[in-house]
Amino acid sequence: MWVARVDEGFVFGDLTAATVDTLKGVPMLIESADTRVRDRLLPETCDSADAEEQWRRHAVPELERLFLSRAQLVRRDLAGLRLMPKSKNQLLLILDAHANAWLAALNAARLALYELNDLTAESMEPEAFGLALPKQQEAILRIHLLAEFQSVLLGDLEIESSGSFDDFVVE
Amino acid sequence: MLVRGSTKEKTDTKTRPQTSLATPWNVIVHDDPVTLMTYVTKVLMQVFGYGIDKAKKLMMEVHKTGRSIVWTGAREQAEMYAQKLQAHHLLTTLEVVDA
Repeated sequence: MWVARVDEGFVFGDLTAATVDTLKGVPMLIESADTRVRDRLLPETCDSADAEEQWRRHAVPELERLFLSRAQLVRRDLAGLRLMPKSKNQLLLILDAHANAWLAALNAARLALYELNDLTAESMEPEAFGLALPKQQEAILRIHLLAEFQSVLLGDLEIESSGSFDDFVVE
Repeated sequence: MLVRGSTKEKTDTKTRPQTSLATPWNVIVHDDPVTLMTYVTKVLMQVFGYGIDKAKKLMMEVHKTGRSIVWTGAREQAEMYAQKLQAHHLLTTLEVVDA
């Protein structure tokens, strides 16, 4: 995978089928009805039953709507994945205007993978990787892969703009 | 944003006890082993308008001690902040400050 900066946002190129598969899982993970995921994304918040009940009534429905609209935005952007010339790998543009939604969506997906695969803080340590089950190892790799996308969108890497996306040439 | 009864009629007929409005609430962010530290910092800056130094300090407190009180104040504002933090998936709770 490589990343380029264009005026409109970030271009992620040379995305393998496995990477695309992981990205396509993001909206589904946000929309998961699994109680482990829901309990993490919509956690118990208040320290009294009365306040929690009010929180569930007022705040949670709005958060649920927000998560669903983010899932839809990510799905729409992923529909714009395009094949690279002479390759089976793909290319994705994430607009700056969508970066915040993507950042949150990627975080939700990473948290969901963590919950759904019964991972622990210990199992996330590099030295524990070999002890994890194959399914957990796959989840950990996907969590790290999605973190790479987050790091780019967070501006952790400084990349100069290559101009407009329309003029962007993929070699 | 939370939607609560805001018309005059409703506030006249049903309000929370004055003590609950006056008592400050803490907004607490808890550590989790997945969320990136740079992401936590960015969200704290975005939600509260904190400078990078303050946001990093709070993030490091979350990372090292497991939690950090990131804001204290009136209940409704605390709830609004908690909702914004949860919108970014930071593990956030609210607690009434002990008198």
